[in-house]
Amino acid sequence: MDALLLRSLQGYVRDTFGQPVWLAICRRATLKNDTFEPMLRYDPGMADRVAENAAQELGRSVDTIWEDMGTYMVTSPGHEGVRRLLRFGGPSFVDFLHSLEEAPGRARLAMPGLELPEVSLTETAPDHFSVECASRIKGVQRVLVGMLTAMADDYGALCLIEAEGRDRIAVQVLDRAHASGRRFDLSRPERRE
Amino acid sequence: MMHDMSGQEIRLGIEALSRFMPMHLLLDAEDRVLSVGPTLQRVLDGIPTLGARFEDLFEVRAPGGAGKMSDVLDRAANRFRLAPRHKRNVTLRGLGQRLGPDGPVLLNLTFGIDLIAAVREFSLTDADFAATDLAMELLYLAEANAAVTHELRGLNLRLEGARLQAEEEALTDPLTGLRNRRAADLVLERLCAARAPFGLMHLDLDFFKAVNDTLGHAAGDFVLETVGRILREQIRAEDCAARIGGDEFVIILPGRTEAQTLQTIAARIITRVSHAMEFEGKPCQVSGSIGIVRSTDLRAPDAAQIMAASDRALYAAKHAGRAQAVLMSGDTPA
Repeated sequence: MDALLLRSLQGYVRDTFGQPVWLAICRRATLKNDTFEPMLRYDPGMADRVAENAAQELGRSVDTIWEDMGTYMVTSPGHEGVRRLLRFGGPSFVDFLHSLEEAPGRARLAMPGLELPEVSLTETAPDHFSVECASRIKGVQRVLVGMLTAMADDYGALCLIEAEGRDRIAVQVLDRAHASGRRFDLSRPERRE
Repeated sequence: MMHDMSGQEIRLGIEALSRFMPMHLLLDAEDRVLSVGPTLQRVLDGIPTLGARFEDLFEVRAPGGAGKMSDVLDRAANRFRLAPRHKRNVTLRGLGQRLGPDGPVLLNLTFGIDLIAAVREFSLTDADFAATDLAMELLYLAEANAAVTHELRGLNLRLEGARLQAEEEALTDPLTGLRNRRAADLVLERLCAARAPFGLMHLDLDFFKAVNDTLGHAAGDFVLETVGRILREQIRAEDCAARIGGDEFVIILPGRTEAQTLQTIAARIITRVSHAMEFEGKPCQVSGSIGIVRSTDLRAPDAAQIMAASDRALYAAKHAGRAQAVLMSGDTPA
């Protein structure tokens, strides 16, 4: 999990602030290398440590950085695959929310050994949800907030999404069909290699 | 206590049937279409289906030779394969049941492994599949799999790039940018193993120690870098120039065994090396001695023999006075 977050953080910082900023973060974090591979393993805690250095380098809170990165993972054209896989969660944003509990199982099916954090969803009242995500990585909750916000947009749902405590997210769906949302074709666009 | 319902009949309206089985087909006793599920209707793509004959719409792929639905049910009611006549590349798998004697026949169809192609072909959406259908999971998995494979291919390419770079660094002398001793040994071994003809020059700088001692290591390094540049300029792409020791260089020239050519190249190198260099305003005067050997002068050359012969040639060159090149064929200068 650290590897996926680190790779995404690297992509987010490079695309948003440029390579020199990323290199400065790597130096500040006294890393041996300046690229992360999503399929390799890194020391547990490395993702949080690099994010904290990014926060210092960029002069923003670490929470903001993780949230922006979550949004970036869904909205950046280079990560269209992530958005598509998430959209397979269901035809509406609420269906998608319910599919979050299946995410770790889906990830294991796609790649044995890939451990996503366990998520549990409680419908506290009609259109009020509480998402619980326990992870040893502090950033996970905020990344999820960013991703949920971007996905609500993608589906065209109007929502209030807020982090609560360390590992809960409150989601209130105000309007399920606020906007038309982005188009999603089940068949994958041809990949140009 | 619950009643045993097996053997009982339930009524199911066509609308409910379409919801549970969006790919169903209901035929009358004459094989004429009574009802088509909405997704199957999309596959049949605008073709008027109600009242159409089954045979005109579908080709039975298995069981072989069957055309009539009664044949199909008699032989393979639990698993048969059909293809729409207007889209033979999409195969549908099905299950069928006659509802009562001389009653209608209910078929339920699925895309099987052609699902991905069918989704693209007919622009299907998740509304086209029953919620119980695993189609979404299959599509998800195919896409996740493609993403993982893509990522792995990228990783492989990056690792290969890193490996090549590491290999390059392991064979390069960082000061001069020439190859190092290990690289020269590898080239030499390869040429000897292939019994390919080649010439080899062994260059040793004269007066290098004096430059180092009087002007310091930085000046010495400057001289070595300059010699590196000279050698790179004097050789072809297929040649190998290496620094194999402090101020010792080897140049391997595949295919070059003519004495005259080798002598010319060596003379050019010596001239260039002997040309006064200037380091921070101070002249550094060195020159070079070169021993030349040819693989064709040894009967079955191996790397050690070649190097020993080049040492002897170099020694002879030094002995003949500085700034000389000597070609040894056999044990005597040629």
